[in-house]
Amino acid sequence: MSDRLRAFYGQVVAVAVALAIGAIIILMVDESPAKVFVTLVRGAFGDQAKIAGTLLQTTPILICGVAACVGLRGGMFNVGIEGQLFLGGFAAALVGFALPLPSGLHMIVALVVAVLAGAAWVSIPAYFRTRYNTNEVVSTILSNYVAVLLTSYFTIFLFKRPGGWSETPPILPSAYLPEIFSFSRLNWGLVVGLVLAVAVAWLFRHTARGYSASMVGSAPKFAEYGGIDVKRQGFIVLLASGAIGGLAGGVETLGVHHRFMEGFAPGFGFDGLIAALLANGSPIGTIFTALFFGALRSGSLLLEVDTNASREIITVIQALIILSVSAQVLMKRRGDSTAGERRWKF
Amino acid sequence: MEILANLVNVALIVAMLRTTAPILLVALGGSFTTKAGIFNIGLEGQMLVGAFFAVLGSIWSGSAFVGVVCGVAAALVFALIFAVLVVSFRANEVVVGLALNILAGGMTISMMKAIFGTRGSIVGQGIVGLPKVQIPGAKALLGSWAPLISGYTPMVYVAFLAVPLLILFYKRTRLGLYIRVVGEKPEAAEALGISITRIRYIASLLCGLLAGLAGAHLSLGYITMFTENMSSGRGFMAVAILIFSNGDPFKVLAGCLLFGFADAFSLRLQTFGFPSYLILAVPYLVALAALFALSYRSRPKIIRETVETMRRLLAAEKTPAAEPEKTLPR
Repeated sequence: MSDRLRAFYGQVVAVAVALAIGAIIILMVDESPAKVFVTLVRGAFGDQAKIAGTLLQTTPILICGVAACVGLRGGMFNVGIEGQLFLGGFAAALVGFALPLPSGLHMIVALVVAVLAGAAWVSIPAYFRTRYNTNEVVSTILSNYVAVLLTSYFTIFLFKRPGGWSETPPILPSAYLPEIFSFSRLNWGLVVGLVLAVAVAWLFRHTARGYSASMVGSAPKFAEYGGIDVKRQGFIVLLASGAIGGLAGGVETLGVHHRFMEGFAPGFGFDGLIAALLANGSPIGTIFTALFFGALRSGSLLLEVDTNASREIITVIQALIILSVSAQVLMKRRGDSTAGERRWKF
Repeated sequence: MEILANLVNVALIVAMLRTTAPILLVALGGSFTTKAGIFNIGLEGQMLVGAFFAVLGSIWSGSAFVGVVCGVAAALVFALIFAVLVVSFRANEVVVGLALNILAGGMTISMMKAIFGTRGSIVGQGIVGLPKVQIPGAKALLGSWAPLISGYTPMVYVAFLAVPLLILFYKRTRLGLYIRVVGEKPEAAEALGISITRIRYIASLLCGLLAGLAGAHLSLGYITMFTENMSSGRGFMAVAILIFSNGDPFKVLAGCLLFGFADAFSLRLQTFGFPSYLILAVPYLVALAALFALSYRSRPKIIRETVETMRRLLAAEKTPAAEPEKTLPR
């Protein structure tokens, strides 16, 4: 337990260091750091609606974060969650407006199709990664660009809403993810994310499949000697990660936008990856880091209104957090040698 | 009619060389880190800050040259942070590289808003672009083919001249050799008393230098403007090239020319009315296809052995008594 506590302290210190550097950068762009941080907090938790807004932003980050966790634990860097999200979102919208089905069933079918779309999109990089050892980081990053352009093409040239601007027709109400409160667009997608995070954590801790996946991630040689089909396991891990990425897109489409449009989810995939890294690949931890990033995102909307700082300042802060988390591993390692043997070198 | 076709061909090649230059520069930069055994996914970010600060410097000083220097300096700072974290702190190079890319994107947009009060792009504002270099006598020598060698911005020449220079650097200089040793056999380097840390720092900084030049070329070369995330994945394509070229300058050149061609050709397709979204995806698809098709270094043993046996058979048919393997470098 003390090990875990120390790791937690490490993350907190990293966040503090990042916020301090962020403050200096905010000073450099001629704005008061205190005002920026207060505005961020006010924008994220100021009132009931703002809190719901924060949770709304948290949802896709959480689901993408769980997708990243699955990859990280299984030793695969899925940087293509953004692309899987776009494909999943588009696929869900397609089912949502083109395939009339009874209420409830419609939503489930749309989500399943989103999951399949995400898995299908990652299957090619996954195949080449596991069969030919093609670097999955580069192939999934590049496939992000293709995914964004491809879905834009589909939306604008094949399925454009008549009279609309780069968006598909609205999905049928039977496919909506129901909203939790009347005053916000916050929907059951958040619950989906929470359940998923817990389920994945349980899977890794208590099932043979989860154990062998994390074994492949942490010690592939050992796993191979132990009789695990490492390639197959890696393929499954990437596919699962991509499937969850697709689910994130489906939830976003069915719960929030009710249509697919160009640039509908900017950067959620990357935010999810960062949240998972900050949580050290733990799905439960990702719930909290995703909430943190969701709050930053939500708060940044007010930032743009109330201060001179642009909302991208939160991107800077996120990047700084990850940099300082990655930097302090060495300090930990110096302290005691066993702490250095981590699942993946941070 | 024939002349027209000819001209179009020349124009296409010229366009190809032009679009090749930035990705060639950044990929050659990455060849330093690749050779030194560092997987540098942060090229994209270095290029982006290079482009942004080149524009800043150019506006501030009114000189394109100072702009380039500023761009390179910014990229070097990023390269230094990368080196400190990856080499000294032994952080995960993928995590650090990605974080630096995200940082570059957020930072340039924030600064753009803070300094210029705009979102999206910086246009005009007194940005001085790089001049075009006219090579004297090119017109007399080549006639209508002169644009092939003359009239580019300086970075294009730098990029293509860097290829033979880098080949010489790796083959003939001590530092080049050290970089290769550190990358291929760190244990040997250590045994020889070469400081791995120092060599990797040097490789990282050399990489930042070229990435900065690439960025400056993007924003001060053929278009004098800065737009959000204007490196648009070129750094990642460069990494793809580096993976299948293993950082060898000549193979890097070949890969980059392929991309330059894909870029120039897709621009041309656009004028024929193909949907721009699909056209824009072409370079990425080419990168992916090349990455997948050429990852044969780590193909399963059976395939590799088959290929090698076939090659040996073919070689044996041509020169029965020769020993072809020995004459190959490395």
